[in-house]
Amino acid sequence: MKKFIRTAMTALTLGLSVNAMADDSVGWPEKADLKFGFIKLTDMAPLAVAYEKGFFEEEGLFVTLEAQANWKVLLDRVIDGQLDGAHMLAGQPLGATIGYGTEAHIITAFSMDLNGNGITVSNAVWEEMKKNIPVENGKPVHPIKADALKPVVEKYKAEGKPFNMGMVFPVSTHNYELRYWLAAGGLNPGYYAPHKGDTSGQLQADVLLSVTPPPQMPATLEAGTIYGYCVGEPWNQQAVFKGIGVPVITDYEIWRNNPEKVFGVSKGWADKYPNTHIRVVKAMIRAAKWLDENNNANRPEAVKILSQPNYVGADYDVIANSMTGTFEYEKGDVREVPDFNVFFRYNATYPYYSDAIWYLTQMRRWGQISDSKPDSWYMDIAKKVYRPDIYAVAAKALIAEGKIAADEFPDFATETGYKPPQKGFIDNITYDGRKPNEYLAKFPIGLKEGDAL
Amino acid sequence: MVTLTFPTWMEPYRALATGKMSADQWQTLLRQLIWPVMGIAAFLLLWQLAAQRIDTSLGQFPGPVDVWEQAGTLVDEHQASRAKEAAFHERQEKYIASRLAQQPDWEPVYRDYTGAPTFFDQIGTSLITVMSGFLLASMIAIPLGIVIGLSSTAHAAMNPLIQLFKPVSPLAWLPLVTMVVSAVYVTDDPLVAKSFLTSMFTVSLCCLWPTLMNTSVGVTSVSQDLTNVSRVLRLNALSHVRKIVLPSALPMMFTGLRLSLGIAWMVLIAAEMLAQNPGLGKFVWDEFQNGSSQSLGRIMVAVIVIGLIGFLLDRVMLMLQRALVWDKSSVQR
Amino acid sequence: MKALLELSNVGMKFDTPKGTFEALKEVNLKIDSGEFVSLIGHSGCGKSTVLNIVAGLLQATDGGVILDKHEVTEPGPERAVVFQNHSLLPWLTAFENVELAVKQVFKKTKSKAEIRDWVEHNLELVHMAHAMHKKPDEISGGMKQRVGIARALAMQPQVLLMDEPFGALDALTRAHLQDSLMEIHAQLGTTVIMITHDVDEAVLLSDRIVMMTNGPSATIGEILDVNLPRPRDRLALADDPTFVRCRQQVLQFLYEKQRKVEPMPKRTSEKAEATRKRA
Repeated sequence: MKKFIRTAMTALTLGLSVNAMADDSVGWPEKADLKFGFIKLTDMAPLAVAYEKGFFEEEGLFVTLEAQANWKVLLDRVIDGQLDGAHMLAGQPLGATIGYGTEAHIITAFSMDLNGNGITVSNAVWEEMKKNIPVENGKPVHPIKADALKPVVEKYKAEGKPFNMGMVFPVSTHNYELRYWLAAGGLNPGYYAPHKGDTSGQLQADVLLSVTPPPQMPATLEAGTIYGYCVGEPWNQQAVFKGIGVPVITDYEIWRNNPEKVFGVSKGWADKYPNTHIRVVKAMIRAAKWLDENNNANRPEAVKILSQPNYVGADYDVIANSMTGTFEYEKGDVREVPDFNVFFRYNATYPYYSDAIWYLTQMRRWGQISDSKPDSWYMDIAKKVYRPDIYAVAAKALIAEGKIAADEFPDFATETGYKPPQKGFIDNITYDGRKPNEYLAKFPIGLKEGDAL
Repeated sequence: MVTLTFPTWMEPYRALATGKMSADQWQTLLRQLIWPVMGIAAFLLLWQLAAQRIDTSLGQFPGPVDVWEQAGTLVDEHQASRAKEAAFHERQEKYIASRLAQQPDWEPVYRDYTGAPTFFDQIGTSLITVMSGFLLASMIAIPLGIVIGLSSTAHAAMNPLIQLFKPVSPLAWLPLVTMVVSAVYVTDDPLVAKSFLTSMFTVSLCCLWPTLMNTSVGVTSVSQDLTNVSRVLRLNALSHVRKIVLPSALPMMFTGLRLSLGIAWMVLIAAEMLAQNPGLGKFVWDEFQNGSSQSLGRIMVAVIVIGLIGFLLDRVMLMLQRALVWDKSSVQR
Repeated sequence: MKALLELSNVGMKFDTPKGTFEALKEVNLKIDSGEFVSLIGHSGCGKSTVLNIVAGLLQATDGGVILDKHEVTEPGPERAVVFQNHSLLPWLTAFENVELAVKQVFKKTKSKAEIRDWVEHNLELVHMAHAMHKKPDEISGGMKQRVGIARALAMQPQVLLMDEPFGALDALTRAHLQDSLMEIHAQLGTTVIMITHDVDEAVLLSDRIVMMTNGPSATIGEILDVNLPRPRDRLALADDPTFVRCRQQVLQFLYEKQRKVEPMPKRTSEKAEATRKRA
């Protein structure tokens, strides 16, 4: 083992010196000692890989990675400068910039992954739900819609029991995905009314959603405080392993290839250390590519890295379950989901404006944005927060260095930052990032243009 | 004052070795060695039996053997981390050399290893933090305690505040300390980490009370006779404090310091857990969050180490107290 | 001849929650240089209050104390006190305890070596040279009191004030210390005021015995001159008629005239008045 480490080190050092010599396109980093925060989730993998594989060091960056207690602490520490940057929920830079929660201008030039979340319900709820799900070859038919949950929720309601579910943060992907899934099944997940001081998000709710930090989800479910949750991995698979709950759907099935985490830094930091920022993005693009290359060939090694206690720290088997392209629903019901975690392919790392706008539409849909906004506002905010321009500089430098081929990136000459209208949502509604208000009008449940609470 | 004789507690063992044991020495041996060892053995047995019956969602509760294995793993991880650290420094040398070749006017910066701290690094961090917090608290509590003890005005003025703040849990202080440190400690080139300051101040705030109270009581209870001696000798205020009050109050002060250090250690672990500040508390919390099948065993190792360190800290204070305090009867346990 | 120490009309009132309490009233006493005076009386009669007023530890509410033409307003080393329970600093050795006093009094006039010699000299005087580097809790009660005396003597006081110095000691130790004290008194000619409960001790050591009436409003009842030649020997004195008579008189005062703790009969007050005039 020691010998292996040594050999790897030598290889790395050789690579390092060559690189440092070859690279002139991006200036030296203004700040080389960096501390990045993350939450213990498998989708922090690009950070861990960039560190462990030496990609940061090859950019002359000396990075320390530090796990954070929860999303709020993480964001606050990025804002007050204790962290140089962090693994963030896509909604966090947007929410912070428009002033929902702590107000601060946060930007992102790197999207960390696609998909990777799931919705899990407790065993008791699953037993009830199962009655409403068709079976084929002895297995429930997927994707399972919230229609199957609706009678359960109604039964609880009739018994006077509030139906509680957990998500990880008010502006988290999980909140919007859980709401999307519930609403698509005719369950109202409740509205926010920040202008009235109501940030509980439970107005008119059929299902009451509340915040629980990801690693505590299984324990909270086990304690009976919540009947289900939406969270990233490994916390859905953990529920299966512990035998305390059953994942019913992955976010891949709610919205195929949905953007998930981003790497966020404060605007002030990015302005002060532009070269450092570009180099960070370079290292992370390489890490993302490493994670996906050769048809996920490196995933087992990545799982090994992630299972170290200082990263995700869960057992290898738990992490491997989802990271290597499978997903276990009911115990023993393992299904192939090759794209459950996507880090690089489908331009996963590129920060699309249309992704930002989707999150803004959901913030508006559930009242976190209390006033109706024109389409141009959505686009302006997306431009303010999502920075494909920085990404492009980093990508071009990597192309020039010969590390990644140009055809693995979008064509920067023509790329507008807007994906063509996307299908693949569980409710079959098409999303066009250029027409946010038109998109909002299509939802049966949710605020629309002109609505106010 | 160093005497190179056999410590008296060793006497029975010498007697045992030479085969000459008196009944008294048997008693001592029983008390010092046999009963404690049997107590520990019984505990380990009960623990093992209980552990087999407790099934948590993270697997079976770790028994002594699992914990011992995890302790070994932690040592291995520490050594592996040290090897990685050496490699890191080697790489850094190369990087500096290559960058200097391209950019001769560059001022090289040598960096510490950026890898995650190991269990043993966390122990070191916790010890440094607890001692800093404790020293800071003592530096505040002792002079303040003397003033309060000497002046009934100061006592009247401060007492309500002391009674108010004394029972406050570290968990309540922590957010305030965190915010204040963040607001006040603004520097581009921090000498120490903010998290260190937060932990340290929280520890100080919570552990200064026993020292403060005991010092002030010690000072108040200086015997009237000794005060009279001081008056007859016409000692000035400073000499009075230095020669009469301080030595008089020293036993009480030490009792307070020992209590304070105990509290400091407990508070620190809690603060580290809550604030995710580096140290043993963070280690425990991280392991809890990891939820791997080894987590409970590793947490148990930390629990034992935390207890052991707390015990050793108390012993060190006891030895200090024995060495420094004139009133041997005040040194208990 | 002018007295070294003069108490004139000394009175002491304390404010208590139940009103003013008069502890002492019209205490008048003159003491000559070199004289050994005992204060005797029942517990609570205010002997200690008198001594503390002379020491300056208490301020009289009426009258005052003059020592060598200066009024006593605060404590000071010229009126060194030997306290009832030795009052040695427990964290210092015998030597250091005496040294603390010596340094305080002579720091301007004596060199380091002289200070050391003087400390040692005084410890030798009380026969404590052999244990001078021991701490108080390593030596016996009698030895502690010897150190206490050495500390007081080392200040070269004009008056040595002793507050029941041997009260807590066993009879044998007490006898030894009394002998030592007589020796030192003979040698140095120090003026001494000593409080005691012990009639034999008072007669043996004193030139005059001041007998105090019971409080409240305690004052001097009688003063007895002990006309015994010095050096005195306790064994020889046991049968000495003067000694026996003096002893008798003190006992009579204490156990007949002052038996009750009630307000004074008028006769006694008149007698006290007379005594004061004679003095």
